[in-house]
Amino acid sequence: MIEAQTLTKRYGAKTAVDSISFTVQPGKVTGFLGPNGAGKSTTMRMIMGLDNPSGGQVIVNGRPYAKHKAPLHEVGALLDAKAVHTKRSAYNHLRAMAATHGIPNSRVNEVIELTGLGAVAKKRVAGFSLGMGQRLGIAVALLGDPQTVIFDEPVNGLDPEGVQWVRHLARDLAAEGRTVFLSSHLMSEMALTADHLIVIGRGRIIADAPIQDIIDGQSKARVRVRADRPQDLLGPLAGDGVSSQVLEPELLEITGVDPRRIAETALRTGVLVYELTPLQLSLEDAYMQLTQAEVEYQSHSLSPTAPDTTQLTIPVEGRRP
Amino acid sequence: MSAQTTTSPSPTRHAPRPSSGITFSRVLRSEWIKVTTVRSTVILIASTVLVMVGLALLGAWGYAQLAQSINDGSLPADLQAQGPGSPAVDALTTPSSGLIFGQLLIASLAVVLIASEWATGMIRSTMVAVPGRTPALLAKTVVVAAVAFLVGLLSALVSYLIAQPILGSQDLDFALTEDGVLASIINTGTFLALVAVISMSLGILLRNTAGGVVTAVGIFFVLPVIMQLLSGLADWVTDAARFLPGEAGNKMVAVTASEGALTQLQGGLVMGAWALAFLAAALIVTKKRDV
Repeated sequence: MIEAQTLTKRYGAKTAVDSISFTVQPGKVTGFLGPNGAGKSTTMRMIMGLDNPSGGQVIVNGRPYAKHKAPLHEVGALLDAKAVHTKRSAYNHLRAMAATHGIPNSRVNEVIELTGLGAVAKKRVAGFSLGMGQRLGIAVALLGDPQTVIFDEPVNGLDPEGVQWVRHLARDLAAEGRTVFLSSHLMSEMALTADHLIVIGRGRIIADAPIQDIIDGQSKARVRVRADRPQDLLGPLAGDGVSSQVLEPELLEITGVDPRRIAETALRTGVLVYELTPLQLSLEDAYMQLTQAEVEYQSHSLSPTAPDTTQLTIPVEGRRP
Repeated sequence: MSAQTTTSPSPTRHAPRPSSGITFSRVLRSEWIKVTTVRSTVILIASTVLVMVGLALLGAWGYAQLAQSINDGSLPADLQAQGPGSPAVDALTTPSSGLIFGQLLIASLAVVLIASEWATGMIRSTMVAVPGRTPALLAKTVVVAAVAFLVGLLSALVSYLIAQPILGSQDLDFALTEDGVLASIINTGTFLALVAVISMSLGILLRNTAGGVVTAVGIFFVLPVIMQLLSGLADWVTDAARFLPGEAGNKMVAVTASEGALTQLQGGLVMGAWALAFLAAALIVTKKRDV
């Protein structure tokens, strides 16, 4: 269990993490999602006691990380893949880490097997690929068989098999009742792994909810309509919470009304409707909508005609979550 | 997507095994593993011993040559007139004569061992494993100081032993029991240990290998020279120069105390005080800064 209360980190005039409060529950995988520079890594570093908060506090398993007597048994963290002396072998790195807690060499060998590092364990870390570095980082995180695990961008640099492995590992750890906190900027990855999402942008929490709620919350019944006289439909439908967008002369997107009411209105007004498609938002779209205003480094389209809101209006069929 | 895992999670505490947890001796062991598992570190330590012994042999040979010249009467008059240094007295410093180079290598080693943790990112693993930070740095300092002490002691002892036959050829050989000799040999180790502590503290404060090595060289080698250049300006400069870490340290291994200079013990206390001050600053700053 990780509990953050009004956690804040300022670097000079810049606020990287802005008074965030959240709880990461045991028994499920919680995704920590946000664009680059949103404050994910800074938050994780504060959880692990590497950065001192400018305000607020964060506790893990009941107390600040640094106050635990055997911290590696409480929390295992992969913060960055290559937090390792490159001239040392993976095996010796693990041995040095294990020694601080009196963890026996047998456990070192176990995590080497578990993470599939057996073939390279005696080699110097300098020659490791990013993916092997990630595996070593995860091996370190698992050394103490901790109740809580924190992985910062764990699938970075992993091959597809490795990505699957991390996914299963995270799910298995959660199924054993552990607290699993994963950060990512890839919503598709979170959709497959996480049960619960905390979405962060510009140092603030934008959403903190079960993953399905986030998808649902962002997709108020949106319907795409093709009709011969769209304007005649919109008048009778107008009302609270209903908005529409004319995409083409005969193509509309209506938000806030269910398809049946649109069909009834069309029948009554004699408008010919030849497409009526309910749109479901993917997690990716939900995420884009949530974080759009919060992206720190936004890329701009090269085309001068493309409006900033394109993402809101692209059709989303075929991208079901 | 979560059906199979959200069912009946068992929030059992995986309680830490009673035998497990951070203790200082375990952190020491971890730092020992770190020092011994990087090949370049081991090579640097071994070469320090070789270089120190080599320099001492060179010194012994030099004293023997000098003594022979004096005995032959072939020594140039101006050299003969010079200074208090009779070969017999100078020869007593043979065991510690590798220090000039030894302190350079040990200073570099100490800076590299800690600054490379920042350079490689290793420091984050270290500080996650030992989040109290102070025990980790203290353990590393103890390990490196102990290695430095043994390097100094071993070099001085080996130097003493293999210099004796060379010196003996001119009757310059001496016993361990002569005044100050054994202390000088032991203090060769003590001096290097304190050099290691100061250098490690610099590495911790600067978090940068090149900056740390340059600063250490500045303190041990350049500062005394600057003070000497300035000594004409005022008497207090000369007075103060005696208390520089390098100068005070050199007195720890001096066998004959010259007039007005610090004794072995005083030199040791002054240098020890410097080491403590640097270490305290390093530990306090690390506790407060982000890793």
